[in-house]
Amino acid sequence: MFNGLIVAALAFLPGEVDAPKPATLARTLAFRADVVYRGDGTSIDDGVILVKEGVITQVGSGLEIPEGAAIVDHDGAISAGLIALHSEDGAGAELYDSTRIVLAEAEARHAFAPEHADFDRALAAGITALVLAPSSSSLIGGQSAVVKTSGGRVVKPAAQLALSLSRDALHTNRFPTSYAGAIEELERRFGEPEGPVARAASGSLPVLIDVNDRAETLRAIGFAQRFGLKGALYGSYWAEEIAPQIAGSGLDVICTPFDVGDDSRSARAVVALAKEGVRLGFGLDAPERHPGSLRFGAAACVRAGLETAKARKALTGDAAAIAGVAGRIGRVARGLDADLVLWSGDPVALTSSIQAVYVDGELVHGGSK
Amino acid sequence: MRSKVVRPALAGLFGVLCTPSVVQAGPAVQAEPGAEEAAVFVIRAAELHLRPGEVRENTSVLVRDGRILQIGADIAPPEGAQVIEGAVVCAAFIDPWSALGVDGPTLIDTSLVESARTSDALDFFEGDHLRAEALRAGVTAARLQAGFKGKNCGLGAVARLDPELDDPSAAVLLDDADLAMSVGLSVQRQASFQRMPDGSFQLVSGDAAMDVFDRIGAVDSVVSAIESGASYRKAEVEFRYELEEWEKAIAEKVEELEDDFKKAKKDRDKDIEEAEEKGKEFKEKKYKEDKKPRKPRFDADKAELARVAEGEIPLIVEVHRSAEIRKLLADTERFSRLRLVIAGGSEAGTCAEELARRRVPVIVWPSLRGTQAKDEFEGAKLSLAAELAEAGVEVLLGTGGRDGEATRDLPLLAQLAVGHGLDREAAFEALTLGAARTFDVADRLGSVEVGKDADLLVLDGPPLGPSTRVQYVFCGGRLAVTPQDQ
Repeated sequence: MFNGLIVAALAFLPGEVDAPKPATLARTLAFRADVVYRGDGTSIDDGVILVKEGVITQVGSGLEIPEGAAIVDHDGAISAGLIALHSEDGAGAELYDSTRIVLAEAEARHAFAPEHADFDRALAAGITALVLAPSSSSLIGGQSAVVKTSGGRVVKPAAQLALSLSRDALHTNRFPTSYAGAIEELERRFGEPEGPVARAASGSLPVLIDVNDRAETLRAIGFAQRFGLKGALYGSYWAEEIAPQIAGSGLDVICTPFDVGDDSRSARAVVALAKEGVRLGFGLDAPERHPGSLRFGAAACVRAGLETAKARKALTGDAAAIAGVAGRIGRVARGLDADLVLWSGDPVALTSSIQAVYVDGELVHGGSK
Repeated sequence: MRSKVVRPALAGLFGVLCTPSVVQAGPAVQAEPGAEEAAVFVIRAAELHLRPGEVRENTSVLVRDGRILQIGADIAPPEGAQVIEGAVVCAAFIDPWSALGVDGPTLIDTSLVESARTSDALDFFEGDHLRAEALRAGVTAARLQAGFKGKNCGLGAVARLDPELDDPSAAVLLDDADLAMSVGLSVQRQASFQRMPDGSFQLVSGDAAMDVFDRIGAVDSVVSAIESGASYRKAEVEFRYELEEWEKAIAEKVEELEDDFKKAKKDRDKDIEEAEEKGKEFKEKKYKEDKKPRKPRFDADKAELARVAEGEIPLIVEVHRSAEIRKLLADTERFSRLRLVIAGGSEAGTCAEELARRRVPVIVWPSLRGTQAKDEFEGAKLSLAAELAEAGVEVLLGTGGRDGEATRDLPLLAQLAVGHGLDREAAFEALTLGAARTFDVADRLGSVEVGKDADLLVLDGPPLGPSTRVQYVFCGGRLAVTPQDQ
C-alpha cells in the first residue's frame, strides 16, 4: 500500500518514469560471469554484479553475495544492454510529419508504442534501449526520446533536438528547396531562439543533425560551430576524408547503419573517426532494418580495424553518453539500471549468441534456469 | 603468432636491411607449367586444417605451379622457394551462391532458358576491387549464376575470384557446374497508383508476392521440366538402341539378299519389263528395314535437363516457402538419380527430416532482413542453418546470388549463423569442402590435399574465429594477399 503511494508519487515526476516498477524487482540479484564488460572500455574477469530493485549496487570480482540473493551464474560474458541511437521501432509513420518543416516542440516519445512486436525483435538482438528520432524530412523535426525495449519506460523524453541538413529535408514542392534556403531558415530560428531551439542554442539540449555526405556534414559542422551547438551528427558514410574536421567540431557521430555488401568505405570511415578520437555510437533505423544490423556494423568495423574495446563502448557506454543518459544506462556501474545481456562470448563477435537479457533487473528474454 | 616470410638463400645478406616481407621477382604472374620463374612456396603451419575435422600440428605444405605437391612435417624448401610461416592454414572459402562478376542485366533477366550459360555473361574487367576484397576476406572461388529473378537461371559457373584473371576462360573452373531454377519469388509488378490509408494516392512499384496457385504451378513447371529432360534422354537412348538394332538387321538382310542376288536381280529385271509393257510405274520392292530410325531432334535445353534428370549435374532450386518445398520434394522423388539442392529454403526447417532423408543439401543465406523484406522471406530466421544441421541436413552457406558485393561478407554471415546455433565445424565445412563437393569441384578445391589446387588461407587464429585475421591468401597457387594488403 505504502509502496503504491510512493510509486504513484513518482509517476507525477516530469517525464522520468512512465510505468510503476513491478514488485518482483525488490529482490536482490547476483550475476557472476567469466567476463563483465563495463561499457566504458574496461572489463572484469570473473566479475560479479549485484542488483537490487532493478538497479546495480556493486560491480567487481570476488564480491560477497548478500544472503537471499538470487544467483545467476553465467558461463560466458555479461555486458550492458546495447543501445541503438536512431530507430523507428514501433512507431510506424508516426515519426514523420509531412505538413510542417519546423515542429521543434514535437516529442518523439508520443510515438512510443511499447507493446509493439518491434521491441521484442530488438530485445532478441540484445538491444535494451533505443532512441526514437523524428524523420529526417523535417528541418527541425522535434525532440528525440530514449526508451527501453521492455517495460515501457521512457528514460529521457526530450533527449535531443532533431535537425536535418540532409537532402531529405529538401523538397521540390515546398520550402525549403535548397541547402541555402534550409540553412537560412535554421539561422533565422536559431538567431531568435524560442522553446526547444533556445535550449539547444544555450547548450542544454544537444542536437541530432542528419547528414548524408561530406558537403552536408561540413555544412552541419559549420552551422553547429556558428551557434556553439553540442550534440551528434547522424551519418558517417563519407566521413573518412573529413574525420579531422568532425573531430575539431566536438560533435559526436552516430554511424549510419550497416548492411551486408556495403562499400568498405563505410567501415573505413568509422575507423578513421575513432582514430581522431570522435565519440561514436551506432544508428539502426529499425524496423526497416533488422536489429542485428547493430552488431553486424560493429563487427564490420572491427574487421576494418576498429579496436574491439572501442566497438563495445560505441554499442553501450558511449551510446548512452551521446543520448544524454549516461547516468541511467549503458554501463555496468553502481547506480545505473540493471540492463544486462548475457552472451556466450564477446558481444562484438558475431559468433557469440545471446543467452539472456535483463531490463531493470528483470529477465525479459531467454534464460532457461 | 605472427606469420612471417623468410627467403633462405638471401636471408643472410639482406636479413638486416630488409623488413620481413614477401620478396617477389616482378609482378605476380599466374605460373604456367614449364615457365622459368615457377611460383614455389613452402607454407609452414603450426596448425594445418587438412579438411573439416582433420587438423595436423607443425606441418608444411609445398606449393608449385598452382598445385599442392606435398604435405609433411619436414619439407626442405627447394631453390627459390618462398617460405611462409603461419599459425593456422586451411583451404580457402567458396561462396556457393554468388553474383560477383555476373553482368547486371543478365543477373535480372527473367527470360533465360535452361541452356543459357552464366559463363557467357561474366565481366571480370569490372569490379576488381570487389574481387580483391573477397580475396582479403578469404573467399577465393564462387558459384556464379545468372537470372536469379526468373524461373530459369541457366547453367551456373564455378570461378576463381582472382582480380588478376580478367579472362573468364582463365578464371572459370567449371562452366556448367549446375542448372538452377527459382520457384515462388516475388515478381516485378508494374507501377500503379494505390490509395493510402490517409486517402492520398501514391505511385507504388516494386515486387509483388506470387499468389499461391502460381507458386504451386511453378513447382509443377520445374518437375515437368525435369520430366522432359528424362524423356529426352530416354528417346536418345532408345534411338541409339534402335539404330544399333537397325544396322544389325540391315547387315543380316544384305547377307540374306547376297545369297539370292542373281535370282533377285532376274526377278527385278522381269518386273521392270512387265511394268514398261503395261505402262505402269515400276515400284521398287520395299523392305521393312528401309526405314531408318529417326534421330530425335536436338534440343539444347532438353539436353541440359536430361543431364539434370540423370544426376550428371546438380539442380539448384531457389524456393522458400514450406508448401513449395514439400511439393518439390514429393514430386521429384521419382527421379532416382536427380541431385537436388535447395537454395534459400527460408521455411525449410518445417521439413528438415525429409530433406535429411532425401539427402538434399540446402544453401542457407543468413541475412539481416527488416520488415520491408519480400514476402518469400517472411519465415526466414538466422537459426535456420543450425536447425537444419541439427536434423542431419547438409548445410551450405552463401550470400544470396543477387549482390556481388556481399561475397566479401561470407565469413561474417557464417559467423552470424554460428552465433545462432550452427556448429563452427559445420560452418567451416560448408564454406570449403561442402561447397566444393556439391558443385563437383572437390577434385580441385575445398581441402588441403596433394594434387588439389593451392587455394589456401594463412590465418592468425581458427577459421571463422571472431578475432581471426586473414594474413595470406593463395588463389590458384598465386600469392594474392599478404599482410601488407590488409
